[in-house]
Amino acid sequence: MVSAAPKAGLAPLAAARQKVLGCDRCGSCLPVCPLFDVQDVERASARGKNALVRGLAEGLLAPGREAQEALEFCLLCRACTDACPGKVPTDEAMVQARQALADTLGHTPLRSRLIGRTLRRRSLVTLGAAALTGLRFLGLHRLLPSSVVPREVSRRSYLARRAGPALLGAPAPGVPPAVHPTARVAYFQGCGMKLLFPDASRSTQRILGGLSAFQRPDHPCCGLPHLAHGQRAAFLELARENIRAFEGADLVVTDCASCGGTLKHLASWFEGNPEWEGPAARFAAKVMDLTEYLVAAGYRPRALPGATFTYHDPCHLARGQGIRRQPRQLLEQAGQLVELSAKERCCGGSGSFHLEHPAAAAAILQRKQADIQGTGAQVVVTACPGCLIQLTRAADQSGGAFQALHISQVI
Amino acid sequence: MTTCTALEPDLLEGFREAVGRENVIESPLEVFGYSYDASFLPLDTRTVPQVVVRPRTTAEISRVMVLAHRSRIPVTPRGAASGRTGGSVPLQGGIVLALDRMTSILELDTANMMVSAEPGVRTIDLHDHCARQGLFFPPDPGSWKVSTLGGNIAENAGGMRAVKYGVTRDYVMGLEVVLADGSVLETGGKAVKNVTGYDLTGLFVGSEGTLGIVSRALFRLRPLPKARGVLRVVFRTMDEACAAVQAMLLEGVTPSAAEIMDAACLEAVALARKTSLEAGAGACLILEIDGDGPEALDAQSRRIEAITGQAGRIGFRAAATREETEALWAERRGLSSAVAAMAPNRLGEDISVPRSAFPEVVRRINAISRATGLRIPVFGHAGDGNLHPSVLCDLADPDQAARAHEAVDGIFKAALELGGTLSGEHGIGVSKRPYFAGAVGPVSLEAHRAVKGALDPLWILNPGKIW
Repeated sequence: MVSAAPKAGLAPLAAARQKVLGCDRCGSCLPVCPLFDVQDVERASARGKNALVRGLAEGLLAPGREAQEALEFCLLCRACTDACPGKVPTDEAMVQARQALADTLGHTPLRSRLIGRTLRRRSLVTLGAAALTGLRFLGLHRLLPSSVVPREVSRRSYLARRAGPALLGAPAPGVPPAVHPTARVAYFQGCGMKLLFPDASRSTQRILGGLSAFQRPDHPCCGLPHLAHGQRAAFLELARENIRAFEGADLVVTDCASCGGTLKHLASWFEGNPEWEGPAARFAAKVMDLTEYLVAAGYRPRALPGATFTYHDPCHLARGQGIRRQPRQLLEQAGQLVELSAKERCCGGSGSFHLEHPAAAAAILQRKQADIQGTGAQVVVTACPGCLIQLTRAADQSGGAFQALHISQVI
Repeated sequence: MTTCTALEPDLLEGFREAVGRENVIESPLEVFGYSYDASFLPLDTRTVPQVVVRPRTTAEISRVMVLAHRSRIPVTPRGAASGRTGGSVPLQGGIVLALDRMTSILELDTANMMVSAEPGVRTIDLHDHCARQGLFFPPDPGSWKVSTLGGNIAENAGGMRAVKYGVTRDYVMGLEVVLADGSVLETGGKAVKNVTGYDLTGLFVGSEGTLGIVSRALFRLRPLPKARGVLRVVFRTMDEACAAVQAMLLEGVTPSAAEIMDAACLEAVALARKTSLEAGAGACLILEIDGDGPEALDAQSRRIEAITGQAGRIGFRAAATREETEALWAERRGLSSAVAAMAPNRLGEDISVPRSAFPEVVRRINAISRATGLRIPVFGHAGDGNLHPSVLCDLADPDQAARAHEAVDGIFKAALELGGTLSGEHGIGVSKRPYFAGAVGPVSLEAHRAVKGALDPLWILNPGKIW
């Protein structure tokens, strides 16, 4: 069973330690860790955090607030694992160690707890989305910090700004899904898309609707915010609700890389649980990223003559799901794609990280912004609302040099 | 929770004044990150420094050393802590002198083909900086994306290109070194011929941070080769592969890298890549060749094809495209992880023997493998006699741990018996210290001590290392 161990904290920390035992401290992660790049202390690096886990688990360091904060200071971007000769999963170790410390010390940072409570209740998310729509309508959202409520660029305003009227309105013609012609497709609308990027979410649904009559079951959060911040019990409850909510679908398509990555990996959290192991595995096998689904279904976006894009790989899509080709294929059909020099480098968004550590997130974003501007592209496209928050901020800071859009808004 | 006693508040304040508050790390949690390196030393509260000091200039290093010297506090220099033998582990606590914020490349002198840089510059960054001007800094230790120049000098780092281009020592023309008492020594210079006094430059290269703190280094460079190619040659036995390398060197066809892998390595790679092992393959060479252009590479490639043919090769591939070159190198670069994936733990060793003894030392390592019941894949730099046997084991199992250490002992013994050394490019540090006195003998040990005592009379610099 995966719920909390009898001796709270100890068992999960042992599990985290097990994950990092393969780290021989060679330092291959140092040049690729975005956080070590902006904060050059060992503690900020993947190697430093792996050692911290061992130090805590082996009783060499006292667990406390400082240790907890150090473990929170990770983007879960997996750049370290990619560069690691032993493929040590530092992100998984962090998730487990955070859980262990939360179980032992009982407190996680205030903001992630607030977000955790809100996202657990779908009705609150809906309410929040409505409230933000109201704020946007009145222009009052500008009073909130920009990273809390990003200024969303709508597809309509994007098209209106850059092209003639022939491109407006009608969705690109759809081709019937090649892989699953009769598949029952359901849309998994993540909290980020629903709350912060409703126009992008509508674009996704417009495209999905052009391909088949898709379902929109009522469902809760994917649970990643809870899992990442030491609320595993809540995560498991949400997972069970999601498994039930999508029982009537053959494919679960999401336009959020973080939701997709989490949902695709659900099965591993229920291993050894006789009641849920099977359903979790069946559910996880149905999950597809929007771009993955569209390419498999043979969708061809309408070309936008003269459009130049650059593409930011979300960590949870490229490294998390191995999806790199599909978004590029779609973008190349829609316009001209100019690659970033560090395309898979984390943007610093990472859930609520940018709220908890604004200075570090801003420093990381500054590098991303320079990279984007170096391409000369009109639009930076991504496939995750978490990244889109950051990239929208970068677009604002660029003074109009480029726009930030979700991929569903340009294809 | 550390066992070290706290430093005097006055002294701490002195460090803060010397380098600036933002360059001093004091929190117990933060300093823990400076208690280890990439060696097999276990994490331990006894090796946690009391303070980490990060100077940005030679003058700041000097101020820190004056304070440490006056208070007789151990000082352990540290770059990226990517060393394999515990060189940057503060064995007695004290101060970790982290040089990672001294990252300037100071002068690229193209007329004299030399470059000077600070110790915290990453090896690959120096290489790339020079390459942009058509110049070549050859030392390329496996960790070159991480390792820093100060550490390369302290350990006299080698790399794959040593067979043709030598090791770090061959490129150091001069040093600026802060001595234990804070005085600043300058050695060498841009004059290529220089016999004024002792070779103090050479003395500090490979001194593992026990004689002084390198604060600036001057390196000579070569012209960047205009073209590079990669060849993969397969043999039935390690003997044949080694004989082929020797024949190449005798004929004057010197590859810029000659990496050798034994059957166990090939198996590991095949396993990791889910491919099957070539029939009869017992050894493989990955050769890099360089030269003035495609014609020069073609000529070398043809000669190597002929020489290896006479040596009994059973497979030969020359990369024709950039992608193929990448694919062939990927096999060598992925080797470390492929081998690591075969067991929970890997004791990676670094011995060096005369080139002619390479096949024999591999035979003896195979015998050790059979005697201890542990797998020991061997790869290495065939051209220079430096090899890296990896003892695969599960250290959580006390019986296996004991056998693993027995295997390591045996490997060192074999190297010494064949006229080799304990370390080719990793240094002695802590992990090979028990073998040092026996390997060099009492007279050499006494000479080492005399040098140490002359330059660091209070023995505060990196205590507990080498012997």
